Amino acid sequence: MNPIIFNLEKLPDWFGVLPEIILLVFAALVIILDLFVSQKKILAAVSLIGIIASGALSLGFWGTELSFFNGLILTDSFAVFFKLLFLGVSFLIVLASEDYVNSFRRLQGEYYALLLLATTGMMLMAGAGDITTVYVSLELTGISLYALTGFLKDRKSTEAALKYLLLGAIASAVLLYGLALIFGITGKTGLGEIARAVQAQLSGSASVSPALFLGLVLLIAGFGFKIASIPFHMWVPDVYEGAPTTVTAFLSVASKAAGFAIIMRVITSVFAAPDWLARDWATVFAVLSVLTMTAANIVAIPQSNIKRMLGYSSIAQAGYLMVGLAALGSSPFPGALAGMSPAQSGVLFFLASYAFTNLGAFTAITIIAQKIGSDEIADYAGMGRRSPLLALALTFCLVSLIGIPPASGFMAKFYIFRAAVQADLLWLVIIAVINSVISAYYYLRVVKVMWLESPPSAEKVPSSALPTVSLAVSCLGVLALGTIPGLIMKLAEMVNQFMP
Amino acid sequence: MPDISPLLTGHLPAATAAYWPGGYWGHWAFYTTALITFALLMVMGAIYIERRLLGRMQSRLGPNRTGPFGLLQPVADALKVLIKEDIIPQPADRLVHWLAPVVAFVPVVMIFAVVPFQKGALLADLNIGILYVVAVSSLTTVGIFMAGWGSSNKYSLLGAMRNVAAVVSYEIPLVLSILGVVLIAGSLSLNEIVLAQDIPFIFLQPMGFLLFFMAACAEINRSPFDLMEADSEIVAGFHTEYSGMKFAMFYLVEYAEAIAMSAIISVLFLGGWRGPLLPPWLWFVIKVFAVFGFMVWTRATFPRVRIDQLMAFAWKFLLPLSLINLFVTAIQVLTIPDAPWLVFIINTAVMILLVIIWSGLFKVGWGRVEV
Amino acid sequence: MGLAAAFWVMAVFAVAAALLVVSLRNIFRTALALIVCFIAVAGLYITLSADFLAAAQILVYVGAISVLIILAIMMTREVRQGNPANRPLKLPVLAVAVVLLGLLVYVVVASPWQVSGTPPLAPTTGPLSRLLFGSQGYVLATEICAVLILAAILGAIVLAKEKEE
Repeated sequence: MNPIIFNLEKLPDWFGVLPEIILLVFAALVIILDLFVSQKKILAAVSLIGIIASGALSLGFWGTELSFFNGLILTDSFAVFFKLLFLGVSFLIVLASEDYVNSFRRLQGEYYALLLLATTGMMLMAGAGDITTVYVSLELTGISLYALTGFLKDRKSTEAALKYLLLGAIASAVLLYGLALIFGITGKTGLGEIARAVQAQLSGSASVSPALFLGLVLLIAGFGFKIASIPFHMWVPDVYEGAPTTVTAFLSVASKAAGFAIIMRVITSVFAAPDWLARDWATVFAVLSVLTMTAANIVAIPQSNIKRMLGYSSIAQAGYLMVGLAALGSSPFPGALAGMSPAQSGVLFFLASYAFTNLGAFTAITIIAQKIGSDEIADYAGMGRRSPLLALALTFCLVSLIGIPPASGFMAKFYIFRAAVQADLLWLVIIAVINSVISAYYYLRVVKVMWLESPPSAEKVPSSALPTVSLAVSCLGVLALGTIPGLIMKLAEMVNQFMP
Repeated sequence: MPDISPLLTGHLPAATAAYWPGGYWGHWAFYTTALITFALLMVMGAIYIERRLLGRMQSRLGPNRTGPFGLLQPVADALKVLIKEDIIPQPADRLVHWLAPVVAFVPVVMIFAVVPFQKGALLADLNIGILYVVAVSSLTTVGIFMAGWGSSNKYSLLGAMRNVAAVVSYEIPLVLSILGVVLIAGSLSLNEIVLAQDIPFIFLQPMGFLLFFMAACAEINRSPFDLMEADSEIVAGFHTEYSGMKFAMFYLVEYAEAIAMSAIISVLFLGGWRGPLLPPWLWFVIKVFAVFGFMVWTRATFPRVRIDQLMAFAWKFLLPLSLINLFVTAIQVLTIPDAPWLVFIINTAVMILLVIIWSGLFKVGWGRVEV
Repeated sequence: MGLAAAFWVMAVFAVAAALLVVSLRNIFRTALALIVCFIAVAGLYITLSADFLAAAQILVYVGAISVLIILAIMMTREVRQGNPANRPLKLPVLAVAVVLLGLLVYVVVASPWQVSGTPPLAPTTGPLSRLLFGSQGYVLATEICAVLILAAILGAIVLAKEKEE
């Protein structure tokens, strides 16, 4: 634990949510400024400043282990890691949105504000220490994202928003039922208290009470919706296709990472003991992982729309990530509380790598779609000649999604699979590797179309400054994580969860 | 047999178990009967007052032939309407059409259950009293909806839809302006709120009173917000297809709602049954009729608003002002809880200032020129 | 005794109304049955001494949500008989519902629930406010709800605003 200048006993409660408050203030500022400024780029700038300020404040909590508001919110390195991840993602999204938001000029203020609010919700999710905070922050994220999905207001976008809303509402009802059952059986709302109550109830017995079992299943289902694991993935293809591309990128990266953050907060650490309970949910995750990877990769093959294809791809990536969760439960030291779990650091590294990779891919798509006005893979023909750098960046990100060095996707998979092998899940790793090979087919098809087919027109695809910066940062991130993975891995290994 | 002598002597028993005449069920039966009788009598009085007062304000006499001063006019009206033919339109949803007046009427009577007529003299001293009132009064909408839908008439449907638009919009400022009172009184119970009013809350919450009065008028569709039965536009709105007894029920609902809201306003802002010299229940009745008279006065003064004006008024005028009022009140309760006269001065100034500023945002016809 | 009777009356009403909601053809009557169900649930809350919750249930579910549902029905008069496309799904849905019911009943009966031994609080408003707004309570969750409403309002504005040409 780092030395801290403040007197910990006397910190006011609001101090614990300072990064979130800052972000919220900037969201409000964006809405108010929207009324007065005609140059809407200022709104993007204000959002960026807010994100940076919030990130700087979050960083200050690294290494602390504090609980605020009577345990409703926790600050630990786990929360800080995810907060920085979310803020980084929304930073890049705001950059990448510069041109794109022109398609809804009148609503730009709302766009940035909702983006910041969604990020706030995710940050609160990462730091949640109580099932009430878990639920309301999840809803905050959800509601902001439903609205963002419908931003284009055309047929597809509206349909996407409606589907997302309906299925999201069902998922959160399922989740709430699960939380209610767990509250009913333990009588507690704090995550730490629940963990202790569960441990006390189960010590010496060999089976869980039906309510706890059902509660756990419902939790996995509710969070499974958030991370888009099969069979809770039905919303993904339509929503990803219909939503504004920048929002799709945000959904596929930040929302998924938030889902994993909350799973690691609520399931893998609270239900870490006794061992057999951890092995139980690890098996569930292993089975879901196999289903998710295999089905998503097979269905992705015939897709002709690149957003849809990347939608299935992101489902598949969730499958690989769940290999990490399974390893987390089956390892000799189940759960994150044991600290230094290779599976946890693997999942964190994978999420960081996946964030850069997918953001890069989606930013490239956003820029291309701005110009050619289509998301069909066939229309990408000859992109290598029309815009070599863009095509190169997209190729690099797709290669990273397959998991080929030197891109970061390789190291990410390597860490997770290594953790799984250490946890005696060799069979799962073999299936995952087979899946990676299958996935190469559809990723490389896009590459082939871009580089080997002749372009329909020789017209260049220009790109404006800020989205290009965003793309460059993403690609650099992918490269850096792939070549010097030790850096972020060290960080990920230091991440520890605090449970009061 | 419950002892009804307290009613006659003006000393109603308190609502605590020890004073329940005839035990729990006796108390229940006694107050229920008393309340329904009270509500019906008040409604008859209200109808009389409205017709006479309106007549006076419009420079005419109003009904003056039935009984002394026309006092028996409501009775005659009631008799007439009871023996009228009950018509149900052929394509109507008969069950819904039949149930609608009942569904609309029951919640209105239920409101009176928590209204204190005297110290502790009420059917049930709920600790959530005012929340109960707001919750129950929102049920009436369902009855009006059923009437609008069940009649299979487009004017009925339009009236019902206007009603929901009004109720949903005006419920927000209504509740927010109640919260100011609740903050000062420190309780949701109507009995406690009255006991807390050494100074009537109209002085401490002048803007709250104004907002509540306007929102309440819209909520119960009193003129100038009586859009859902605007006869120049949609015949008679939701009760176009009603006649006879069922029409009488809706008529009753309309006035019972007005009386209920007047009673709530008296309790929240005018000190309820408290007053010098006269017996408490009489004070209460006087205040209720005074508020009702004020409603009649508004009706006679203002022209009916248009539907978009109705919406704009709720969302752009009442809502922001009630939020500001709540905010100011909360600060006052925290900082100067013991200086009522300071609160009075500040709140009056705030009210005048805000109303003037906000009125500037509204022009006749909302900038549209119409002939 | 009286409380148990009230509970059973409310429970029967709630379940019967819920059954009507799924079985009635006329979609307006379905909505009315839903309202009865909500009111019965509010009654259940009262038997649990949760009077504030009961009033909030009536206010929110009956006064606002049901009314909006009915408004939506009125605007879509064509679908008053329900969606015919759903009819083939009747049996599978029934099966799923029955299985779910069995599961839930089993869970409720077979689990060792945490039951509080303390008697219900007489005035609920005070303790409730301390739980919702006190520093030892759930004030942060309440505040997040406020932000949630802000997000919802923004979303509503976005969806309701006309698309510009």
